[in-house]
Amino acid sequence: MEQRLANTWRLTVNEKKFIETALQSELRIDGRRPFDYRKVAIKFGKDDGSAEVRLGHTHVMAFVTAQLVQPYRDRPNEGSLAIFTEFSPMADPSFEPGRPGESAVELGRVIDRGLRESRAVDTESLCVLSGKLVWAIRVDLHIIDNGGNLVDTANIAALAALLTFRRPECSLGGEDGQEVIVHPPEVREPLPLIIHHLPIAVTFAFFGNENSMVIDPTHHEEAVMGGRMTATLNANGDVCAIQKAGGEGVLQSIIMHCLRFASVKAGDITENIKKAVDSYNIERALKKVKRKSSSVPMDVDGAGSNLKERQDSFVHQKGMSAERLKPIHEESITDQNEDIEGETKLLETRKTDRGNEVEKNFVGVLSCWDPYSKGVDTDFLKASLASRGTSTVSKQSNSRGEKMSSEARLEESSEAAKVEITELAQVSRQTNGEKTLKDAQLAISINFYSQHGTKNALSVCHLAESGISPPPFKHI
Amino acid sequence: MEIDRIDERTPNQLRPLICSRNVLNRAHGSSSWSQGDTKVLAAVYGPKAGTKKNENPERACIEVIWKPKTGQSGKLEKEYEMILKRTLQSICILTINPNTTTSVIIQVVSDDGALLPCAINAACAALVDAGIPLKHLAVAVCCGLADSGDVMLDPTKLEEQKMKAFTYLVFPNSVFSVLPEGSLQVEGEPVENGIITSVTQGLMSVSFKFVQVEDYLHCIERGRAASAKMSAFLRRSLQSQLPSDTLKAG
Repeated sequence: MEQRLANTWRLTVNEKKFIETALQSELRIDGRRPFDYRKVAIKFGKDDGSAEVRLGHTHVMAFVTAQLVQPYRDRPNEGSLAIFTEFSPMADPSFEPGRPGESAVELGRVIDRGLRESRAVDTESLCVLSGKLVWAIRVDLHIIDNGGNLVDTANIAALAALLTFRRPECSLGGEDGQEVIVHPPEVREPLPLIIHHLPIAVTFAFFGNENSMVIDPTHHEEAVMGGRMTATLNANGDVCAIQKAGGEGVLQSIIMHCLRFASVKAGDITENIKKAVDSYNIERALKKVKRKSSSVPMDVDGAGSNLKERQDSFVHQKGMSAERLKPIHEESITDQNEDIEGETKLLETRKTDRGNEVEKNFVGVLSCWDPYSKGVDTDFLKASLASRGTSTVSKQSNSRGEKMSSEARLEESSEAAKVEITELAQVSRQTNGEKTLKDAQLAISINFYSQHGTKNALSVCHLAESGISPPPFKHI
Repeated sequence: MEIDRIDERTPNQLRPLICSRNVLNRAHGSSSWSQGDTKVLAAVYGPKAGTKKNENPERACIEVIWKPKTGQSGKLEKEYEMILKRTLQSICILTINPNTTTSVIIQVVSDDGALLPCAINAACAALVDAGIPLKHLAVAVCCGLADSGDVMLDPTKLEEQKMKAFTYLVFPNSVFSVLPEGSLQVEGEPVENGIITSVTQGLMSVSFKFVQVEDYLHCIERGRAASAKMSAFLRRSLQSQLPSDTLKAG
């Protein structure tokens, strides 16, 4: 036990003094000003109801699941919402596995109060058969990386996951209308949850000297701070919950100032969440449409125009290694191919069965792969890992990373093609292993096979990420 | 005989592999490994002082914590932890830091079949990222046996459920060395032909009296061939890490 304590991370006296002194001149150690919030990055997983949020270095994942259960006796018409928080030992060396510590319980309670007790999620709509069967929604929050301010991040993750969660539709049937039939998602479209408002948690940290305070503390600042306060507000200006558990005493005027600031911040974060959820919903809808209408012809002109935009971004790629591959769709861009650097090899893609166009313009190295357009049906991903060595990830590709993650999710239908990594492809011809590998490195062979979901599109860009320390996005 | 797999792979095709290292900030080593839709995140906290009660204090000890995607940790998670711990113990050099504990934490992000092999691969990459001394790496594959007797590599969740049997196999990765070939062999066989771990589920025949069916041995052969490819991929992805990694001071 003592040895375990010896392993915990402690801030040295010098570091403490440094942080406090810097705060006196309104400087924070990561370069922010006292009232600057870190950038929020929200990503969604393949399944409905899974979200991953990054706030600076803090990383939280949320998964939402639903089950049919018996309701509580005193509330026969309402479903339930339960939040389970896991402080994973991977987030911080001081998090122990097993029973949740006080801070884990406190975090769970703050989020619970914000979501459940403020009636943000409508529980009456979760009732299926009064007194017998209701939906119980379970939110699992996994804290993956502790970079400070876990409450806010976990809250945003929970909200994002709840907004994108879909529960199966059920109807009453049977002779006396008492039987419940749960429709699988293929038969009937699952329904979203009814969420009335979005309670956003904003955390402030107070420091002893001169009543200074900061918003959104990092874990260094949390180790130095004298007290903290979390205010959960929504965009309408309602206060859903305030948590100030002990710590230093703070003047009333400062508390009011914090609340006012928090309401502004809550508005910003709500906008952010809504935008992310909207773009996810659009992609989801597109995915559904593609799956159903199998013979929708692609808009070649649209494709062509989109390509033009990409041309500029590729210009700087000239001079990269000759092993870059650029699979390009055979129908479009053949005229534009000449513009692209001569060194790159152009590949022709095999069309998918549906005859829908596959459109993916990307340089075959690292995350320089650029999804093509919203109208495009399927993506195929690149092959050659050989060119990974030349991992000069251009800033361009990094900046396009953002675009990539959102567009990449642009999905294809379940018949989206995915490129099989050539080396992996031919396991059966293993006996001539080396030869296959070398062929793969010059790879012109790209194998396509259909698959559900966009996962592969995104994932392949990660192929190269192993060499790059922290890429701007890490997809699930 | 060609089997029709749902995602139109051939029986010997693996799903696309993606490996990224250094994905977490606080952990000493971290990696994310995905095979198709199965994705696992692994984090390693480097040697901490002290070992657990029942462990041998003259060796380093490995502690594995498996976090499922939803729900509480149950018996299945404990079994995975045990398998992972034993596998990693055989690849780490345990005598270098005696009386220390290295923690490996696995978080399941999504599960679409072959979860344990994915986790083993992720843990290996995370150990490399953390700089833990290893003898060699481990490469894990899943081989499934369909009712018709055909062996399929890297099944998805749906395929796993339909199969008669499947097995998770862990091989050491292929050796890449300047030493002459003979010196790296163990009892006349190359090192990478050994099996570190094998977990099977379902009925799989080893040898039948009059007809040599030997499904399990077929699986091992296919798995070994796949592991050669995977270890080439692993080597490439681990090599491209820049030498100017910032040290993580906890």
